[in-house]
Amino acid sequence: MCYGTCTVNVRVEDGVVVGIEGVPDSPQGYGNICAKGLSSLMMLYDPSRLNYPLLRTNPEKGIGVDPGWKRISWNEAMDLLTSKLGECLKKDPRGLYTVGSPTFPAERAFNVLCFRKAFGTPNYYTGGGGLHCGNGAHMIGGIYHASWSVIPDFKYCNMAIYWGCSKGHGAGHAANVAAKQAADAKARGMRLIVFDPFLSTQASTAEEWVPIKAGTDAAAALAMANLLLSEYSAYDKEYIKWKTNGPYLVAPDGLYRRDKKSGVPLVWNIIDKKVEPFNSENVKDCALEGEFDVDGTKCTPSFQLLRNHLKKYTPEHASEICGVSASTLRRIAKDFGEEARIGSTISIDGKTLPYRPVASIYFRGSQGHYNQAWDCMSLVLLNHLVGSADVPGGALAFGPPVHLGYPGTGRLKYSVEPDKDGLLVAKNWPYAHLPYPPPEPKDPPERLDLQDMFYIPTYTTIMAWDNNEELWQKFKIPYRPDVMISFATNQIMSVGNPKTLMKNFLQKFGFIASFNIYSTEFEESAADLVLPDACYLERYSSATTFPTVGVSCHGTGLGEWIWAIRQPVIKPMYERRPMIDVILELSERLGLRDRYIEAAREWVNRAYGGDLDFKKVLDPKEKLNFERMLDIIMKDRFGPDKGLDYFKEHGYLKWDKRVEEVYWRAFNDVRVPVYLEWIIRAGRKSRAIAEKYGVPDLVDWSAHNALPEWRPCPTHTEKNPEYDLEAFYWRSALHTYSMTMQNPWLNEVSQNDPYTYTIQLNTETANRKGVKEGDLVWLENSKGSKAKGRVHITDGIRPDHVAIAANAGHWSKGMPIAKDKGVFFNELIEIDKEHTCPVSLGQDICVKVKLYKDGGDRSG
Amino acid sequence: MVRWGMVIDLKRCTGCHSCSVACKVEHHTPPGVFWAKVVRIESGKYPTVIRQAVPLLCMHCREPECEKVCPTGATKKQPDGRVTVDSDECVGCRYCAVACPYGARCFAPDWKDYFTGDKKPSSPYAEYSKKKWLEESDKGVVSKCDFCEERVEQGKQPACVNACPCEARTFGDLDDPESEVSQLIKKRRGMQLHPEYGTDASVYYLPAR
Repeated sequence: MCYGTCTVNVRVEDGVVVGIEGVPDSPQGYGNICAKGLSSLMMLYDPSRLNYPLLRTNPEKGIGVDPGWKRISWNEAMDLLTSKLGECLKKDPRGLYTVGSPTFPAERAFNVLCFRKAFGTPNYYTGGGGLHCGNGAHMIGGIYHASWSVIPDFKYCNMAIYWGCSKGHGAGHAANVAAKQAADAKARGMRLIVFDPFLSTQASTAEEWVPIKAGTDAAAALAMANLLLSEYSAYDKEYIKWKTNGPYLVAPDGLYRRDKKSGVPLVWNIIDKKVEPFNSENVKDCALEGEFDVDGTKCTPSFQLLRNHLKKYTPEHASEICGVSASTLRRIAKDFGEEARIGSTISIDGKTLPYRPVASIYFRGSQGHYNQAWDCMSLVLLNHLVGSADVPGGALAFGPPVHLGYPGTGRLKYSVEPDKDGLLVAKNWPYAHLPYPPPEPKDPPERLDLQDMFYIPTYTTIMAWDNNEELWQKFKIPYRPDVMISFATNQIMSVGNPKTLMKNFLQKFGFIASFNIYSTEFEESAADLVLPDACYLERYSSATTFPTVGVSCHGTGLGEWIWAIRQPVIKPMYERRPMIDVILELSERLGLRDRYIEAAREWVNRAYGGDLDFKKVLDPKEKLNFERMLDIIMKDRFGPDKGLDYFKEHGYLKWDKRVEEVYWRAFNDVRVPVYLEWIIRAGRKSRAIAEKYGVPDLVDWSAHNALPEWRPCPTHTEKNPEYDLEAFYWRSALHTYSMTMQNPWLNEVSQNDPYTYTIQLNTETANRKGVKEGDLVWLENSKGSKAKGRVHITDGIRPDHVAIAANAGHWSKGMPIAKDKGVFFNELIEIDKEHTCPVSLGQDICVKVKLYKDGGDRSG
Repeated sequence: MVRWGMVIDLKRCTGCHSCSVACKVEHHTPPGVFWAKVVRIESGKYPTVIRQAVPLLCMHCREPECEKVCPTGATKKQPDGRVTVDSDECVGCRYCAVACPYGARCFAPDWKDYFTGDKKPSSPYAEYSKKKWLEESDKGVVSKCDFCEERVEQGKQPACVNACPCEARTFGDLDDPESEVSQLIKKRRGMQLHPEYGTDASVYYLPAR
């Protein structure tokens, strides 16, 4: 339903679910519950739900093609799936592509990640928000906070800057908790400043809305960083010395100068006036500025390089890029620096900690751009200059990434740690591929999206580029797309231009099976076999709140930890089956049982800490069973009396958070990079592979550098004046992506809302174009892709921008309520190199469009 | 004597519509009928523009216009401050709906299934929901928020108050000067909507700015 997964009580009368309420005692919602959660009983009883396995009878696939669904039995479905997967396993298991929704983070591990590992395919991506979010935001969150994302410490923060994000508006991560905490913070007087082209929910409740041009956040933030360093002298020298790589000496080649013996980076010991390893106990003070001779080479502390580099980002220069006045940038930067109260401390539970009540917070909006890796880095950098990272009042890691153990057992224990260069390494990251240190690139790459020859991306869209076949040949990838299993995704609507995805990628598969609750555009266009999944009210979920980093459902700050499960309140209706049950049966049928158990062991221990070995607990003849696995995990973590039976009865277990967990930064000797030296090294390795296989221009390698830059999106360099509006989409709190538009309550509320299903256009722009409220208009990009919708005229948007809520406009027969509602924004999103961040390989999802009335003059 | 009232803090509200849907779960209102809703009001010119979400419901006025115009006496002022509609006495003339300055009253059409638009319920839940709705209201009559009478009698908060993710709503006794609602109104200068109509509403709004 939503990755907020707030704890709910469900009322069942005579076998019928009749009501949903929050659980007041649960820190995962405090009893509060959003419209989506309340509406989920309508999802349970939707007559459009898939109830039986369906087989495509029309051999033709494509958008708008009738699949000719034929109902088949589960036996037939399982036989077919086993045979297709069995053939793939024999031929080359890497031909299996797995795609999962991000809305069930903990379960996804067992459904998708463990199965794919057991099967032996590296190929995976996330549908839903996946290819749009993820790469830039999460990896930068991982590098700087060991976390999926950052959020203000609502209890103590006095000034939060939101960059294209709406944390606390009642959706997404920790939806209901964050909403309450944000409201409490605003009531307490926390000043909120929102940079966003659109007057978003949070912007409309903020002290100040700063209408910035889409995709230019980094320009504004780097100017602010420059001001903090050069004009206001508002930076935390102690933090930069001991918690960042600011003092590390960098040689003219851009790389650290390392200690010959230990191989670790060197710093300049100010007291003894000599170079020493950064971690030497002799170093009681070190230089952040200056130039130092190391064996005849002039070396500079990386902080000095950052400082020099930022000088070109004057507020006046940034203003030209981002459309925000230089005086506004100066004022906000000055306030941020002053409000950070650098040097001040606070005592919490007897521990004295730095007190930095400011936070620079980003998410979806700032990351949906060509330059997303550096955009996110620039925004998070502000926290690391003033030392407001993971300390009271500052920007806190979602999660957080440190848990010192469940008090009853000491288990469920994990923490961050430094690598040999002293930099932060996240330990309970949900993917095997950590944000840092960079994994060794594969030569040649093995994945069809070439992700494994890079170091930042979780996934890329290369598998759907026009030249994918050429790339696969050049990189000597010996297999091709064969079988796909989709776990509750709608890739046709969620990736980008659906025709491109269909033609370049989905059409190449011999067989596509899809678990879902509706027959969406994806099933209708591309699936051969559709398997009816149970919804969250009809099945078990392992943990809705752990691993804390990937699931992000705990509120920020002190309070309580909670391990909650979901359990079926009624048996799956009709022939719906929880997909995990099907996956476990498939693993048995394919002879992958032991490999599945090994994959689960690896994932569980990485995500939850510890050394659980299923093999030691399970009888070798015992059939895989999800409830049994949950029981084992819970007993291992919480003790023999806290197995699944305990959770069935109580629903959840909670315990107090500790200061050392929430404000972990002060308690762990870890640093973060103000200078990303390792990107130079990692980028060179990836580039060498690309050159070796004859694709030197795979991406723009000049972006693989150590210092943050603002780089334009293709929209910023569009020359044709006809395309005069910058289009982007924002996430509506009423919906989880677009699946929930099939929910009649949410749909009705959306229809009554002036924004959810419309195209938002500035009043002056509408007047200039002769467009009136409610007019049906087209948005068309320079490649001729277009989307249609009704206009809502508002003053709450920049005149040169046009905003669309969510990514709507369903057309499948299987979702009749959602059909024709709202605007299908992704039609406008091109899947190609030009719209791919060269560092994170994430997608650029802003687009220049012309707007014209339906049936009107196309010259616009 | 208690006089029930509600305070809605516009500083906390984000307009997420949890109230609109919580009311549907509790009262089984059919399509088109909203006892609780949210409107958005925009004022000013770009870039100095304010957009405010304003949750609406029956204001349970001390001087209700609806009661004055009801020809059958179906609309009643209760001693606890609530304004109620007795569906047995209502003839569906809708004078009240016109008279209410807050648009709080809904004329209930025939019950319809949310998914199919049919009179026949499409699921066991729809069947349950239909039964509940017809117990509470009936086709051809006017209905509206009753401050969750049943829940309040059981000592619970109204459904919208209970669900609100931002905890923007407070329910309590306006006649008790020490109650949280009275204190909030006093300290935060709570306002009634359209006080000029002299309705003396029991729902107060705390300013956002």
